[in-house]
Amino acid sequence: MNSITKVAFLFLLAAATLAAQDSLGRKTPSVTLSAAPVTTIVRGKATDVELRFHVGSGFHINSNKPAAEYLIPTTLKLDVPTDIVVGKITYPPGEEMSFAFAPDEKLSVYSGEFNLSVQVRPLVTMLPGKYEIRGRLRYQACDKAACFPPKQLPVEFEVKVIKAPPPPQKNPAQSPHAHT
Amino acid sequence: MKRDPFVIIGVALVVALMLVFGFKLAKRPGQSESAQMQNGTAPDFALESLDGKTVHLSDYRGKPVVLNFWATWCGPCKIEMPWFVDFQKQYGPAGVQFLGVAMDDAKTEEIAEFAKSMKVNYPILIGKESVGDAYGGVQFLPETFYIDRNGKIVDKAFGLKGRGEIEDDIKKIIGQNSVAQTQK
Repeated sequence: MNSITKVAFLFLLAAATLAAQDSLGRKTPSVTLSAAPVTTIVRGKATDVELRFHVGSGFHINSNKPAAEYLIPTTLKLDVPTDIVVGKITYPPGEEMSFAFAPDEKLSVYSGEFNLSVQVRPLVTMLPGKYEIRGRLRYQACDKAACFPPKQLPVEFEVKVIKAPPPPQKNPAQSPHAHT
Repeated sequence: MKRDPFVIIGVALVVALMLVFGFKLAKRPGQSESAQMQNGTAPDFALESLDGKTVHLSDYRGKPVVLNFWATWCGPCKIEMPWFVDFQKQYGPAGVQFLGVAMDDAKTEEIAEFAKSMKVNYPILIGKESVGDAYGGVQFLPETFYIDRNGKIVDKAFGLKGRGEIEDDIKKIIGQNSVAQTQK
C-alpha cells in the first residue's frame, strides 16, 4: 500500500469511526451476524444450523438467561417457510461477568463472538432446493456505564434441502443351490 | 495508468464527509435538541406518574430538580437509584426534587413494582419518546439533567457517574440559586 492510499484509507477509517458515534461521542453498540455457509439438510431429518454473532468491542448483551428478571434476554425469533419446522434454539450459557456499575453482582452476558444453534427440519414432502430463513435477534446492549434500548437485528440464512439418499439396496437372498 | 494522488485523496475526503454527514442527517429529526434545550432551558413536559396523576416539570418551578431518565432493564440506572433515594432525603429539605422518567416498554405495574423494590422516594413518571426527543433523544440510559430553580439546565450526565460527581452536581443546582437569590 503506497502512502497516498494509506492517507485515503485513514480518512475513510476516521469517518467511519465518527459516523458510528452518536452526537455525545459515545459509540453505539453493534451486533452482527457472520455470513453463515449454506447448510445442507436432508428432507425429514432434523439438522442443527450454527449462527455466529459478534458483539462490538466494549459492549455486552444479556445472555438468553440473564441474572435478573428485569434484564432483557437475547432471543431469536424465526419466520420459516411453511414446510420447514424450527425445533429447539440452543443458546450458549452466558459469561458471568461483573462490571464497574455492579461490582457485587455477576451478570450473565455475551460479548465478542457467540454461537446459536437452530434445529431445522424440512418436511419429507418439501421440494428440494435452496430456502431462505429470516428472523430477528432481539438484544439489549450495555457498555461499562450505560445501557442502550433493546434492538432487533435482522437475521437471514440459507438452507439447501435435499432428498434423502436412497437406502442401500440389499441383494435378494440367493440359494447356493439355485442354478438355472 | 498512474492515478493522480490528489484525486485519490480528494475522493477519499468526499466519501469521508458523506459518511459523517450522511449519518448525522439520517438520524431521526426528534433526536436533535429542542430549541429550549439549546437555550439552556429544560423543556417542560406533561407525564403521567405511577399513581395516575399528570405531572408537569413546570409544577416544580422554584425548586432545583434532578431529572433522571432510566429503565427497569438498565443495570447502571439500578446502581444510581439508591443514591438518588439517599440524596432525596438529604437534599429534599433544601428544596431539591428528584424526578425519575421511566423510558420503558414495561407495564406501569411492573415499573411500580421495580420502584417499590428500590424503595424510591421520589415521583416516577412514565416516559414518552417525545419527551426523550425534547431532551436530545435519550439514546442510552441513564441520562440525568440537573435543573436549577429557574428551569435552566446547569449540568447533564450521560451514563453512570460516581456518587461524588452526582452530589457535586446537586450542590451546583442548589448553590447557583443561592447566588441568584442573593443578587435579587
